[in-house]
Amino acid sequence: MKLRSVRYLTVEGFKNIWVNRLMSIASIGVLVACMLMMGVAIILTLNVDKALGQLEEQNVVMAYFDDTLSEQEARAACTQLGQLDNVATAEFISKAEGLQRQMETMEDSQKEYFQWLQDDNPLPDSAKIILSDLSQFDSTVEQIKNTPGVARINEQRDLAMKISSIKRALTMAGGGVIGLLLLIALVIVANTVRVTMYGRKLEISIMKAVGATNAFIRFPFVVEGVVLGILSAGVTTGVIYLVYKAAMGVMETALNIQAIPFSQFVWPLFGIFAAMGILTGLISSIFMISKYLRKEGSEFRAL
Amino acid sequence: MNIKIHPGEFVFVVGASGAGKSTFMKLIIHEEKPNAGEIIVNGYRLSHMKRRQVPLLRRTMGIVFQDFRLIPNMDVFENVAFAMHVVGANNREIRKRVSYVLNLVGLGGKARSRPSELSGGEQQRVGLARALVNRPSLLIADEPTGNVDPNMSYEIVELLTEINRRGTTILMVTHEHQLVRDFNRRVIMLENGTVVADNEDGGLQ
Repeated sequence: MKLRSVRYLTVEGFKNIWVNRLMSIASIGVLVACMLMMGVAIILTLNVDKALGQLEEQNVVMAYFDDTLSEQEARAACTQLGQLDNVATAEFISKAEGLQRQMETMEDSQKEYFQWLQDDNPLPDSAKIILSDLSQFDSTVEQIKNTPGVARINEQRDLAMKISSIKRALTMAGGGVIGLLLLIALVIVANTVRVTMYGRKLEISIMKAVGATNAFIRFPFVVEGVVLGILSAGVTTGVIYLVYKAAMGVMETALNIQAIPFSQFVWPLFGIFAAMGILTGLISSIFMISKYLRKEGSEFRAL
Repeated sequence: MNIKIHPGEFVFVVGASGAGKSTFMKLIIHEEKPNAGEIIVNGYRLSHMKRRQVPLLRRTMGIVFQDFRLIPNMDVFENVAFAMHVVGANNREIRKRVSYVLNLVGLGGKARSRPSELSGGEQQRVGLARALVNRPSLLIADEPTGNVDPNMSYEIVELLTEINRRGTTILMVTHEHQLVRDFNRRVIMLENGTVVADNEDGGLQ
């Protein structure tokens, strides 16, 4: 298609949005509603995921090194642990440090009583290990156990399993909801395009009669769909910003939950919405028009 | 049926409703495909034509509709210019050519009127201007006078005659026998899908 035609058709697409402004507002409304639900799903997923992440970091595996190892050797073993695939960090805690940390949790009277331990420390050197992916908990723990120098370990398998299964369920539910909403948006936009298309039967029949290619006929509809999609994305992002700001205040004061600040995901969120709007606009207009042009786009018969 | 229409001819197609006039026209503009046989229009063999070639075929012809098919929210100029935008003409070309055809059909002064402000005869002249604006070699008119006052009908056919005199082939479907007799051109008469008469002199037998 010629550049001149592209320019002409783009202008036509924008004109159509204005000429059919009632229909445009209606479809923006429906799209925004869909995107809002999706946005809520995304934000909830993100926040819960973050909360789980914090919980996950607290779920450490402690590895205690063999008593016969010197501190030098134990440190080397700890470095080796840190290099395992699924280990995020492995922090070395020497005997002395371990004892000090233990002492800090005690009351003064207890501290005094256990003072003699300073001279004859019974604690082994140890490593505090944080895993990157809890779903591989069992195999990683096995690897830790088998690392030379590790005498025994202390882990909370149940908690790890719970967190990892909640995460999995969350991802699946979030994905399902988002997919469903995407489908709904697609159907709605396709329907809107169909309505505007029937409203322009006359123009389409004339275009076909004077030899317009299908691409030419389709183009303004595509522009219309895409522009409506982007507008909806903007509106949705704005609405979510207002709601989220209010909800964040409530969450932080009443529930003492640290929510993710809006600025951190405003662009990705707008990106997702815009992509969704453009995609639904594109797919539905191309699909609906092709169907129309194949089956009902008649030039000669009475309209 | 076996028909040959030569370049530069003016042909009336007549017949009762259901005789096959509409099908005949649809076959020529390739809105319908023949079950058998071969149709050649402006060098295109329609039975072997690919879908993407249809627009190219349509650009070699102009179509005038019985119901005018003007876009109500566009003025006369825009309605005619629309056909040129479709084929990707540039704006200078469009301004020049549209003014020319509007003058040709006698509507030079009404370029900024809306279709609703025009009489039936005037609206059909806009339709004619639109059909002509891309310089087709063949003009197809489907009952162009069907929605026009009888005295205006003559004007429309006279205009078609003038266009034909300048070299465009004209194919006009009509059921107004008086008109056909008065203009004394070749007449193809259809009945039950076959040609029952093909007279060079406007005869309706």
